[in-house]
Amino acid sequence: MVKKIPIGPFHPILEEPEFFELHVDGEKVVDIDITIGWSHRGIELLSESKTWDQVPFLVERVCGICSASHPYAYVLAVEDLLQVEVSKRAQYIRAIVAELERLHSHLLWTGLAGHFIGYNTVFMWCWKYREPVLDILEAVTGNRNHYATYRVGGVRRDVPQEEIPNIRKMLDELWKKNDMLTNAILDDPVIHARTKGVGVLGWDKCREYGALGPTARAGGYDVDARRDHQTDAYAELDWDVVLCQNGDVFDKAVVRQLENFEAIKIIRQCVDKLEAMGPGTEEDLVLEIGEIPPGEGLGVYEAPRGEVFHYVRSNGGNMPMRHKIRAPSFNNILTNEYSVLNYAVADAGLITAAVDPCYSCTERVGRVDTRTGERWVMSEGDLIKLSQEKTEMIRRSLRGK
Amino acid sequence: MEREEVKKRIAERFGGKVQIEQRSERRVFVYAENDIWVDLADFLFNELDARFDTGCGLDDRDGVEVMFFFPFDKEHYYVTVKTFARKPYPQLDSISNVITGAKWIEREIFEMFEVNFKNHPDLRPVLRSDTRPADFYPHKREGKDAHEMSRVKLDGWERFNEVKGKAPKGENP
Repeated sequence: MVKKIPIGPFHPILEEPEFFELHVDGEKVVDIDITIGWSHRGIELLSESKTWDQVPFLVERVCGICSASHPYAYVLAVEDLLQVEVSKRAQYIRAIVAELERLHSHLLWTGLAGHFIGYNTVFMWCWKYREPVLDILEAVTGNRNHYATYRVGGVRRDVPQEEIPNIRKMLDELWKKNDMLTNAILDDPVIHARTKGVGVLGWDKCREYGALGPTARAGGYDVDARRDHQTDAYAELDWDVVLCQNGDVFDKAVVRQLENFEAIKIIRQCVDKLEAMGPGTEEDLVLEIGEIPPGEGLGVYEAPRGEVFHYVRSNGGNMPMRHKIRAPSFNNILTNEYSVLNYAVADAGLITAAVDPCYSCTERVGRVDTRTGERWVMSEGDLIKLSQEKTEMIRRSLRGK
Repeated sequence: MEREEVKKRIAERFGGKVQIEQRSERRVFVYAENDIWVDLADFLFNELDARFDTGCGLDDRDGVEVMFFFPFDKEHYYVTVKTFARKPYPQLDSISNVITGAKWIEREIFEMFEVNFKNHPDLRPVLRSDTRPADFYPHKREGKDAHEMSRVKLDGWERFNEVKGKAPKGENP
């Protein structure tokens, strides 16, 4: 007997509504229908009514967590149209802000995943460790989110030289904490039992669905826009693309944890280079850009969740004639129609959350028996409790051994 | 696969049905006729091993320009495939049956530009709610113009009277 469990579209702790209708046979998920679109804000259309220089402020509001990645990809698209290359100083500043964003985004996901499986200590740790990153972002850009740093031809402001020792200190401390957190996750038998072999998305399915970011790299699909499209300074910096093979929830967590170390490595190198350069002038920060000629350009940047894609078309006016934005969740959420199948309901929430979507489940989950028409309602807390109870059951059985 | 090799193989396979233009080191544009659209996508994705990234529509006076983006990551360049779906009923064959990841972007182009992707497995709107007007396609330019016209038409006294419920100008209440 197949039952339907709707998850979504609204959830108070996550930023974007989505709707997953799970078709379950007993505890097993046999089919899924995914619906998005509850927060369509028409940003592409809005962008066509903003000047080229106003658009970065708009697109950093596509997502509060990716508020560096979207303007980064947009300015790369316009610079692709113009065929210009920005100064080295601007490239390092762009990389610093974007990698700080990656750190706080990955820590946020790990914390939420911990909460979801009943590890609230992990949740508390991650959100505590995330605070200094946001403090540094505020010191460097003036804001914890929505950094207003990127502009066509460079950046809007320099990193103050007096902040560089603080950045280094924060990175040193975060390295140790992330090390501890990574070891705690890698060594925990309950987390292994709860996440290994769950929600597997292998290389072939990643390619078929166009999966991106940690979701793809966990399954061995080696894509990273920073390396593949030689974004700004990344080509000259020493860093690695983190790759796993199994494609399960565990590997997705491992990729994100290890990427934190790579992000710290990148920021350290950029900070060293900025310190060696000394304070910059306005000319060091941004190129003088005149009229935008007719033409088209595309820009991609590797956001924490995967590649962000922006396409712009100019007709020679002072606003884009067309601006296409594709966030990575658009590709990644679609992979759930494969990865969630044949797993238990208690795992479904974790699997759908493992792609780190801008995802919201619901305040209430209605459960409908399609044969008898019987309905009963579970709260969002009940759904998380179901997941946490499974973790507790595994923990007890491991203790008993 | 190297850029020159890709250009050569596309030209060999599709001949006069495509025009290839290289605008910069990292950008190759292929203009394709409608009838080879699916074959070209299939060729790039399955034979030349390109990755499928996403798609985009752009409304024009005579039709909708539809483009799909295929990056060759290891060689650091993009191939953008473009075609033109003519008005008044723009339609194209769906590539979702050869590239699963294209399902949602085709649905999006359909709902924003009214491009009918034939043989799509599930051509429902993807981004907007079910309560949207059935015949409203936000990125279609005539839609925007019509909206703008209606707003302009009702500006001034007529609009004022409509809002306030007063008698039209010139009549003595």
